[in-house]
Amino acid sequence: MSLARRWSFSLLLLLAAACRDQSTEAPASGAGGTATASGGGATIGAALSLTGAAASYGALQRAGIQAGVEQVNGGGGPKLNVLIEDDASTKEQGITVFQKFINRDRVSAILGPTLSNTASAADPLAQQAKVPVLAISNTAPTGITDIGNYIWRDSLTEAQVIPGALKKAQEKLDFKTAGVLYGNDDVFTKAGYDVMQKALADLAVKVLGTQTFAKPDRDYNAQLTALIGLKPDVLVVSALADNASSIVAQARQRGWTGPILGGNGFNSPAFIKNAGAAAEGVMVGTSWNSLSQDPANQKFLEAMKKGGVNPDQFSAQAYTGVIILAEAIKQAGGKTGREDIVAGLAKVKDLDTPLGKFSFTPGRDAQHEPSVQQVKDGKFQIVQ
Amino acid sequence: MGQQVLNGIFLGSIYALFAVGYTLVFGVLDILNLAHQAVFMLAAFIALALVADAHLSLWVALPAAVLAGGAIGIVLERVAFRPLRGRADSNISGLISSLAMATVFEAIALQIFGPDISRFPPGTFPDRVVRIGAATASLLQLCIVGISVVLMAVLTLLLARSRLGRQIRAVAESPRAARIVGIDVDRAIAMAFFLSSALGGAAGVLFGLAFNSISPDVGRGVELKGLAVIILGGMGSVPGAVIAGFALGLIEVFTVAHLGSSFRDAVSFAVLFFVLIARPRGLFGRAAAREA
Amino acid sequence: MADLLLAYQSLFAFVGINGLLALSVYTTLSCGQLSLANAGFMAIGAYTSALITLRASGVPFIAALAASALLPAIVAVLLGLPVLRLRGVFLAIATVGFGEVVRLFFVNWDYTNGAMGLVAIPQRTQLWTIALALALALFILGRLRGSRAGYALEAIREDETAARTMGIYTTGHKMAMLALGAALAGLAGGLEAHFTFMVAPGGYAFGRVVEMLVQAVVGGTAAFYGPVVGAAFLTLLPEILREAGARLGLAPGPFRLLLNGLILLAVILYLPNGLVSLPSRLRRRSRGAA
Repeated sequence: MSLARRWSFSLLLLLAAACRDQSTEAPASGAGGTATASGGGATIGAALSLTGAAASYGALQRAGIQAGVEQVNGGGGPKLNVLIEDDASTKEQGITVFQKFINRDRVSAILGPTLSNTASAADPLAQQAKVPVLAISNTAPTGITDIGNYIWRDSLTEAQVIPGALKKAQEKLDFKTAGVLYGNDDVFTKAGYDVMQKALADLAVKVLGTQTFAKPDRDYNAQLTALIGLKPDVLVVSALADNASSIVAQARQRGWTGPILGGNGFNSPAFIKNAGAAAEGVMVGTSWNSLSQDPANQKFLEAMKKGGVNPDQFSAQAYTGVIILAEAIKQAGGKTGREDIVAGLAKVKDLDTPLGKFSFTPGRDAQHEPSVQQVKDGKFQIVQ
Repeated sequence: MGQQVLNGIFLGSIYALFAVGYTLVFGVLDILNLAHQAVFMLAAFIALALVADAHLSLWVALPAAVLAGGAIGIVLERVAFRPLRGRADSNISGLISSLAMATVFEAIALQIFGPDISRFPPGTFPDRVVRIGAATASLLQLCIVGISVVLMAVLTLLLARSRLGRQIRAVAESPRAARIVGIDVDRAIAMAFFLSSALGGAAGVLFGLAFNSISPDVGRGVELKGLAVIILGGMGSVPGAVIAGFALGLIEVFTVAHLGSSFRDAVSFAVLFFVLIARPRGLFGRAAAREA
Repeated sequence: MADLLLAYQSLFAFVGINGLLALSVYTTLSCGQLSLANAGFMAIGAYTSALITLRASGVPFIAALAASALLPAIVAVLLGLPVLRLRGVFLAIATVGFGEVVRLFFVNWDYTNGAMGLVAIPQRTQLWTIALALALALFILGRLRGSRAGYALEAIREDETAARTMGIYTTGHKMAMLALGAALAGLAGGLEAHFTFMVAPGGYAFGRVVEMLVQAVVGGTAAFYGPVVGAAFLTLLPEILREAGARLGLAPGPFRLLLNGLILLAVILYLPNGLVSLPSRLRRRSRGAA
């Protein structure tokens, strides 16, 4: 081998070694795909996007789940044994992971997957195999719980959050026209837009202009300038937290002083932190009320603080998923079989969770009180 | 309307700076360096680390990150391109090899910085807004346009007047002839990569500052736009890349303003297509784009 | 043992589908053209067959599959007319542009729900369907290898100008390969749509065609079955790493991405004819050493 080749090869090996050393972490309950060693109880699979496009959400969900498991296992009753696997934000690995959970690990229930697109590909397998799935972040309005009676979800869809939020905003701000900006390449934000469009029409608000952006975009100046130029009363935005903070900051820079209304994606401490002063006054419809003083929520906030993770909607819904499964087992008389959990889920009613009092709708979708919040003095405050 | 022009110039300056490095390497080696966007990303992260963790001033971190970008470019050339130089299918294998390096760089960035978006600490750059007629621009945006233009001017002068520039141009013309004339071809190519990656890195740092939103996949969005720019400008032509970069920025902004943003990316690719079909060598390119 | 097979049947399905996709990129590579449009062709095939199944009830699956192969082939011919004149990198860039335009089209098309895509597609694809399609593709490409058309393709790959001078109808051959590749990619798209219950534009982005190219190259383009070897290897790799990682206590993370990059780099630098050339390389090495 020539000198150059040998050199390059060693360089590469060095890089590989460097990366390997740092890849082990010490999360609360087990690393990677290994199970938490607890005796008896139920084995649950969690298919999360730990790498790939949705990696940041998967990481938050993992923290929420681990905190939830600690909470549940510390409280007596059947222990939960959660296996966390990475679906790499792709439907192929999502399917493979589901099959592994169903046929090899023989789990009693599955949490996840993170992305709605992966869910529409993997959930049908669970339905066929009669394994209950509790979605903790899928917000697509159709195509999730419609798959069948084994698919449940604890994440409110935008249809359950936005109409109420926009109605309340109109009560406070009395706006007649709007400019709309939404991410058209992501299920979350596109679903949010569809709902916003209908809700605005129902409120007799005239949409003066609609612009789109793609998730990787960082420059929204052209879209914002175009919308602001139409002089709407408010700007309505459907975006995930990272895009949201840049959009709001750039809107202010382009001279927009009017109100900005956002959907679920804004509901993250990262949004306020990154948008800085520009976040002031932004009104948001959220499914998780971070300010709730309920003991269930306080316990969740403490657990997340202990784990060093900033609590947000994704971790709240993931944590709640674990609480709900534990309740389902309890409702089934402590039995942890697949059918038992399904029967138990059907009996979950007004359960105290960080999301509030939680029940399932007849269609197995989430039901709890959403909230409308506004950023005041750098913090989310409830809008009465 | 004036505001949109400003938006277009601002966006275009970053496209232009990114594309200039891209086209330089193509002109010299006839290879599309798909790792260029990874260097763009890494330089942004390096600047971020220097400012946020090492608490250096931005005016130190910026040149340091640019130089680091150049250094990465030299490593890139040594590891991924030089071993392939003799080969018959060197442009395809070079493309794949650069792709592999881009993946490696992205993995390293993911490992060190995580998948979340990182930002410069508030106060890194003074937050001032300037009025130009009826339009507004932030001081940051003006500085970015200024720095981009200066860097591109420096490169153009370097290529046209300096000895190194002449050597690089000679190698771009014909490596064999250059070697016969006594030019150290290896060194010239390495320096071309240094310049290309330094500029790509500069584009990355400026982009990171401009939009304050740096993540390991931040290069991917610019990569495809960069292709449209170098095709429009003409492969291998630095002035072409500059003009095309600004042109594309303005085209995109006006598409959004008048047609709607859903068409924005489609228009960039439509431009790409149209140029390739009607005039493949672009505005100023010399490379033969068709079969004989 | 039975549940091991059950647990991994989807994995085998994906190996087959990725094999088809890698072969689709190989068809154009075999005559020296780098076409990166196949994610777009795959999308067209997937959506076409999905729409047929969902909106036109009673149409047999085989017809939907035929459409998923045919429509992309037609589009390929239309694309090829202006684009095949371009050489090397320019062709690659034009085809990348085409792929992105296709994806953007589906992201913006309300009839197919934009980013949300089409869901609840009945699962009509079985493992044997994929195996049959793959066998068919391999058969076609294998036959091509030793035939006159095959030699023409090789000549075009070696030196297109010389081939034309010798009287070979280069444009026709290149066009045929582009259409064949599009048909294979479209077919794979149709099969996948009816296996994973859904289609969405996100699955057909630039990264997808890069994956196909990488699988073809890592497997080796010297042999017509090389891309399938590459597809099998790279599709199984994440699952192997998943198991190995679990035993070694490695958390899922960028390590897999790094490994992908390093493998690709190692193959392109040291094993340019791909994994299929490994046995002959080792044989030569041992013979030389003796």
